[in-house]
Amino acid sequence: MCPSLRAGAFKNWGERAMKVRTKYVLLFTLPALILYSLFVVYPLLDSLALSFYSWKGVGPKIFVGLKNFREMLFGNFSKEVFNAFFHNIYFFSLATVLELGLGFLIAFLLASKLKGAKLFRTVVYMPNMIPLVIVGFMWGLFLNPQIGLVNSFLKLVGLKALARPWLGDPSTALTSIILVNVWRHLGFYVLVILAAILNIPPDLIEAAYIDGASNWKIASRIIFPMVLPTFRTLLILLFIGSFNVFDMVYAMTGVQAGPFRKTDVLGTVFYRTAFGGLGSAYVDMGLGAAVTVFIFAIVMPLSILYVFLVEGRERSW
Amino acid sequence: MRRLLVLFVVALCVVLLAGEVSIWSWRSQDADVWKQVEQELRKMGKDIKINFTAFAPTEYDAKIAVALQTGTGPDIVYSRRLPGGRTQTMIENGLYLPIDEYVDFSNFSETILKSVTYQGKKYGVPFAVQVVGIFYNKDYFDRFKLKEPETWDELVEIAKTLKKNGITPFFIPGREAWALAMQHAMCGVSVLGPEWIKKLIDGETDFLDPKFTDLNRRLNELKVYYQDGFLANSTTDMDAAFAFGQAAMVFYGIWGYQNWKNLNPDINVGYFMVPPVSKDQKPYAYVYMDGAITLTSNVKNLNDSIEVLKFCATPKFGTIFANVTYNIPAVSGAQLPKVPLLEEIVDVYLNHASPYVYWVGSVFVTQKPSLYDDVLSPGMQEMYAGRISPEELSKRAQEAISQWYEPLKKRLGK
Repeated sequence: MCPSLRAGAFKNWGERAMKVRTKYVLLFTLPALILYSLFVVYPLLDSLALSFYSWKGVGPKIFVGLKNFREMLFGNFSKEVFNAFFHNIYFFSLATVLELGLGFLIAFLLASKLKGAKLFRTVVYMPNMIPLVIVGFMWGLFLNPQIGLVNSFLKLVGLKALARPWLGDPSTALTSIILVNVWRHLGFYVLVILAAILNIPPDLIEAAYIDGASNWKIASRIIFPMVLPTFRTLLILLFIGSFNVFDMVYAMTGVQAGPFRKTDVLGTVFYRTAFGGLGSAYVDMGLGAAVTVFIFAIVMPLSILYVFLVEGRERSW
Repeated sequence: MRRLLVLFVVALCVVLLAGEVSIWSWRSQDADVWKQVEQELRKMGKDIKINFTAFAPTEYDAKIAVALQTGTGPDIVYSRRLPGGRTQTMIENGLYLPIDEYVDFSNFSETILKSVTYQGKKYGVPFAVQVVGIFYNKDYFDRFKLKEPETWDELVEIAKTLKKNGITPFFIPGREAWALAMQHAMCGVSVLGPEWIKKLIDGETDFLDPKFTDLNRRLNELKVYYQDGFLANSTTDMDAAFAFGQAAMVFYGIWGYQNWKNLNPDINVGYFMVPPVSKDQKPYAYVYMDGAITLTSNVKNLNDSIEVLKFCATPKFGTIFANVTYNIPAVSGAQLPKVPLLEEIVDVYLNHASPYVYWVGSVFVTQKPSLYDDVLSPGMQEMYAGRISPEELSKRAQEAISQWYEPLKKRLGK
């Protein structure tokens, strides 16, 4: 057989295989693509379109151009939006320090073969399994100024001066919510960091020990740099989570985000604006949609960065 | 055996073939009302099954708006009172239907019917009248020989006596900003008086009037008699604390009574209107029509829904409603439970209701920024937390309402 003919046959076969493969790839991704378009892309585009309208949720939508954005960024509504925006930043900062800091510390302890480490690994993840609404309700009771566990404990150990209305005091309300949030999610961060620590080749650490490195040096010079890529991923997840936070605030201080909006975040501003509070509240879905676009504009660049980082890591592997 | 089987099949058929009417509400406490209405209708030979569902008040309005527009709403809904942006929008878009041709409204007063009337048509059967004021534990008042106060100073004296004797005078649900706005409004009708509120509505006075700031100051000074950490407490905390005698007085509405009685059947509750500044002023109560039971455009079972609405307009419904909820039914001629408190509340509603108000049912809550949501709710919390002064609260009210309220804009030359 002529060699050129054989090569042509292979080429044809390869093209056919590629065609079949493309067809199947499309076929298999189609259901996910449809669902993604329906539940992610369509609402996103619809929200974007809605942000240029004034709409009470019922009746005709009135095109207002950029009025909602003007109102949100420079008008009467801007005070409320930026107050919430700074709360989101505070939320992110404190949650990051606590969840990554404590998460690393606990994961490090769990990775060293301490007695009861397996049991503690389960215990630390347990709050993650409690539904968020129940967490909010439960901690609402714990923090109750009259009958709450926290104040009763402080009084019992002679720290009565520290007892306060945690969720009613403007200086402690948001921090209390963040701490409850940390309590709920810490287990997840511990497990992810622990997995990263356990992925470090043990011979690296053994070699360091043989060379006489102290525990601190091993932790700071070997373990920490090697889990740093995981930290980066978690940091971006924390950022996205902190700017999308709604449920914890809603469960603990309600849609009014009291006291006097001291626990307000962009999520609660959106909810109040789009769906209103109690009976007489004024609503505008268009203005609410503008708030979601604002959140999206903050979160999206970071999400893209996240994808690049994760992709980059995977490629480097 | 065969006879039993036939009877069972017949009973099953009756149940399955009964018309079903779905009702949505924000009032979970009304579930028993509808069970009893179903029984009453059955006695009248109308086999209607009522399917009642309650939603969280904060989510309710958005829920019905979406459901009715997508055709997945119920036959009947509880609607908010008029005037008010929400209900008006629903009517204008044909989602609530007029029911004049089906229902006999002769058992309702003209004033009450105003809250369901839009462009001459009635959109719903009013269900309750709410009265707010100060509810107190009679046992504490008897123990310390206290009398219902006639002036604000007497109220402060009572609080002083209670505190001296180790009783928390007031339990305030400060975490729920709406309850603080309500407290301001119920004090306003007596301390400022209806004449002053009328002047405010007409643009003859404004929020910077020293009288308004004086009311803010009085409320701010009263906080020393509230429970410790009151800004962290909810209405649920308040219900339990008041029912079990942990506090002597609450600024609340008659709808709380059902809960207090359920928690502690032995509680002995009294009521008085917030006292005015001096004895020569008359005290007033903040009274408002709560809402209505309304036919929706999504109605699937029109005939049975109309039967239910017709029944809601009868004194019999009012009797059931009052006996279950201890609320005052909007329909007249109902037999109220023999509870002295309820009789007193009815008398207050009939004879001492303030004709002018600035909270629910007033013009000041119809646009944004609203006096209710944007000024008094967060403002009262800030004042109580010591972050703003009584003068600053007045200033905020003035700035917010003068943005859109024409008589005030005119007064200020805007």
